Amino acid sequence: MSATMNTTNTTDATDATSSESKLEALQRAQGPLLEVKNLEIDFTTDKKHAVHAVRDSSFSVYPGQWVAIVGESGSGKSTSAMAVLGLLPGTGHVVGGSIKFEGRELTGATQKDFEQLRGEKMGLVPQDPMSNLNPVWRIGAQVKESLKANNMDVAHEKRSDLAKALAGDEVTIKSDDDETFIGSTELPGLLQGASEALAQAGVEAGKAEELVKGFGQSWVPGSQTRWRVADDLIHAGVSDDAAWTLAKSHVTGSTQDDRIAGLLSEAGLPQAAVRARQFPHEFSGGMRQRALIAIGLACRPDLLIADEPTSALDVTVQKKILDHLHMLTDELGTAVLFITHDLGLAAERAQHIVVMYKGRVVESGPSLEVLQHPQHPYTKRLVSAAPSLASQRIISAHERGEDVEDLMEHQVKGEKVLERSEHIITVDHLTKEFKLPRNKEMFKAVDEVSFSLKRGTTLAIVGESGSGKSTVANMVLKLLDPTEGTVTYEGKNIAGFKGKELLDFRRHVQPVFQNPYGSLDPTYSIFRSIEEPLRIHGIGDRKSRVKRVRELLELVEMPTSVMQRYPNELSGGQRQRIAIARAMALNPDVIVCDEAVSALDVLVQNQVLELLNDLQAERSLSYLFITHDLAVVRQIADEVVVMQQGKLVEHATTDEVFNHPQQQYTRDLLDAIPGGNLALGLD
Amino acid sequence: MSSNMATTSSPVFSQSSALPGQERYVAPIDETPLQDVDSIDDSAPATSLWQDAWRTLRTNPLFIVSALLILFIIFVALFPGVFTKQNPNYCNLDNSLNPPSNSHPFGFDMQGCDVFTRTVYGTRTSLSVGILATVLVVLLGALIGALAGFFGGWIDAVLSRLTDIFLALPILLGAIVVLQMFRTSSSIWKIVLVMTLFGWVSTARIARGAVMEAKNLEFNTASTALGSTPMRNLINHIIPNSMAPIIVIGTTSLGTYIVLEATLSFLGVGLPSTTVSWGGDIANAQTILRTNPSVLFYPSAALAITVLAFIMMGDAVKDALDPKSRTA
Repeated sequence: MSATMNTTNTTDATDATSSESKLEALQRAQGPLLEVKNLEIDFTTDKKHAVHAVRDSSFSVYPGQWVAIVGESGSGKSTSAMAVLGLLPGTGHVVGGSIKFEGRELTGATQKDFEQLRGEKMGLVPQDPMSNLNPVWRIGAQVKESLKANNMDVAHEKRSDLAKALAGDEVTIKSDDDETFIGSTELPGLLQGASEALAQAGVEAGKAEELVKGFGQSWVPGSQTRWRVADDLIHAGVSDDAAWTLAKSHVTGSTQDDRIAGLLSEAGLPQAAVRARQFPHEFSGGMRQRALIAIGLACRPDLLIADEPTSALDVTVQKKILDHLHMLTDELGTAVLFITHDLGLAAERAQHIVVMYKGRVVESGPSLEVLQHPQHPYTKRLVSAAPSLASQRIISAHERGEDVEDLMEHQVKGEKVLERSEHIITVDHLTKEFKLPRNKEMFKAVDEVSFSLKRGTTLAIVGESGSGKSTVANMVLKLLDPTEGTVTYEGKNIAGFKGKELLDFRRHVQPVFQNPYGSLDPTYSIFRSIEEPLRIHGIGDRKSRVKRVRELLELVEMPTSVMQRYPNELSGGQRQRIAIARAMALNPDVIVCDEAVSALDVLVQNQVLELLNDLQAERSLSYLFITHDLAVVRQIADEVVVMQQGKLVEHATTDEVFNHPQQQYTRDLLDAIPGGNLALGLD
Repeated sequence: MSSNMATTSSPVFSQSSALPGQERYVAPIDETPLQDVDSIDDSAPATSLWQDAWRTLRTNPLFIVSALLILFIIFVALFPGVFTKQNPNYCNLDNSLNPPSNSHPFGFDMQGCDVFTRTVYGTRTSLSVGILATVLVVLLGALIGALAGFFGGWIDAVLSRLTDIFLALPILLGAIVVLQMFRTSSSIWKIVLVMTLFGWVSTARIARGAVMEAKNLEFNTASTALGSTPMRNLINHIIPNSMAPIIVIGTTSLGTYIVLEATLSFLGVGLPSTTVSWGGDIANAQTILRTNPSVLFYPSAALAITVLAFIMMGDAVKDALDPKSRTA
């Protein structure tokens, strides 16, 4: 990807302003690419009953623009986007309003019309990378399917008018032929020719060699075009004529396989030609999402709908993928309708934000403006709850030298308090090895990790998936036995606990798990679920247990009327409250929260965090808080342990970690917090 | 800023640079009232998985039709005397192949027995074999499957290989071989036991899968961390959560056991001819199929309707308990 324009980073690029205004002028001239007006969508469950999923919603997307729709689950954000694609699930249908794409009305369009638009004009990057690739097809074949279904020319780039107009600044695109891709068989000859041409142009040998090496990397077959090759050569010092002659003779089009590899490599997959022959199960979540981006962009759509494309991924991977997608869509002139529940992420990525709540657009406008001056109470609520923004608010308050106490839900204990508190759980050189199937070597999931949790405080363990943080949690809970090292609870090694002693330990150390849908038995009523620990430990008779369950429900701010209900009737956040009530039933000293709020919407997440903070303040509980999200840590933890690939890389107080991170890895994690770099200017 | 908060209409912004259609917009607050975060819908009645399934079943026409049919069939099996006053074993060669009449609506067979009476009395045999075989198959299969799935390791290896061996034996062939040894016995138990012996395999496989799935669900880990023992988890959590697929296979296979009993009786290795059964009657009627097809028709139709009723019921139960399998 050589430099054509630079709109990727609007905040710090100095030369961006001119191309920015040019882009805006073009957008004004062309009019909106997608215009949704007063959209109404119903789902009919049975014959008479209709659920109004979307009501009176309007928004528009201009060419080359990122627009974000923000909202909690069930707000109608995905439904609106799917209506644009003509992919409403099941019984959903548009009952009113209009959807105009390139001036064409889509509300009455047939599936056949949509089939023509999808792929070529509109692309989709779906939410779940795990289930959206066919497991029995090679990745390359799935990219090919998209190319074939739309009869894409695999030898020439299709560039949008917008991209052409913007690229005009630097390069005049002479004809369609100049959009021919490099073929993989021609690349060696081209590089040879390039080094000869450089020699002729009088570039010294050492520098020429380096230049050719660079060309070898940037001239990706099936992705780089003739005019770029010529452009690169001219920039390197080759004369115009010589550069174009060389480019014309050696860049004559790519094969389908070249194009597939080219697309995958554009999406950021290294060794794309090899990767194209692999199956989805050989890919990590991030790599699958890249493959889905390659598929979504394969036919160069004018509009890409990205439905929470990174919500299943680690923040660092999310940042890399979105950075890359941003660069790619800017270069291709693709507009992106970005659907997310994270306001910080939306504001960071999109120029325009649309906030949806209960099926309606409640607020929309330029990203920063909405963020800085939210008007609708729902937007205000979102802004104040977003963890990424909250931690930023704390930082900016720190910088202004103000008192941050009232900004934080959680009263961070000073170092003095931390030093004075006794260690309730101490983890010493903890190591866990797993045997991998078909592999003789043992895999070290946790490698010599030591830390201690102090009574009445919160210690957060932060790391990406695969860092071993959950394995540590399971060893602390004695659900897994360590290979080496010890876990001590109140001075006693838990490895030796058996029978009554173990039961006693279980009583004092309780877990709250990540998945609110999996941690409650669906066949148990809420009462039975919360009562279960009391029964196991033989506490009280039935009457006193009912009383205790009532108390516990009050503690987690749930009405006692839910006692007779079943988990399937409750939302994720409500189930998590029930799980907390169950964990509190035995009056534990320590609660291990394994990604306890990660699956929840921001508002609900915020509520659960508040609850946890309140409980800690009331009962001086100690939390071991496992999370991948550093933004949340700021709201709850006193101390932070950062783990990477099984090793502890940093251990300090929360303030230290946020203000003076010692390790590059910690800095990467902090950088990846969405919205972390926004110029908020909060008042 | 605070002065703007109270206004319900969108305030005027000085921002003129926004593209047409992307101006700052704030929805009127009274039209989009804010609700409590994560509020509970108290209006809907409480439902468990089973209550939910029952609600789905109740409204399914397939279930209503099959349930009525099954109730009727059970009634016939329990009180055959309500429908006919004759003895099914009273046969008079004088009546051989007599056509239907008012008191004998289905006519007579070759032996001079009343076809209607024999069809009515045959219900009891077919139904008791089907129900007993299903109950035993489900009990044995679920037990073996649950043990294999729960304990894993070598127990699973041994039990699974045993399952594989039985799976390789064709049930019909196995039943013929075993039943040959008990030709003289006229008890229906010999057929029930043979069916159980060869039929538990598929249930065991399904039970094993269901238990393995339920075993890995997070609520088991949660219970363990609460101090529960593995056995307690098995009884309190794993078994209740793996019941649905077992019930489904039980209901669906009931029909096949009824057919199997008829097949075995037809082949002459099932119940002796002294026991009234549809399979036996079908076997007797085949010799006169070309001249008197009606003699074959009635027991076959009774068999077909019964099997259809149970298979329909199985389908309805499957739809209710496993919504994923539902066809749109």
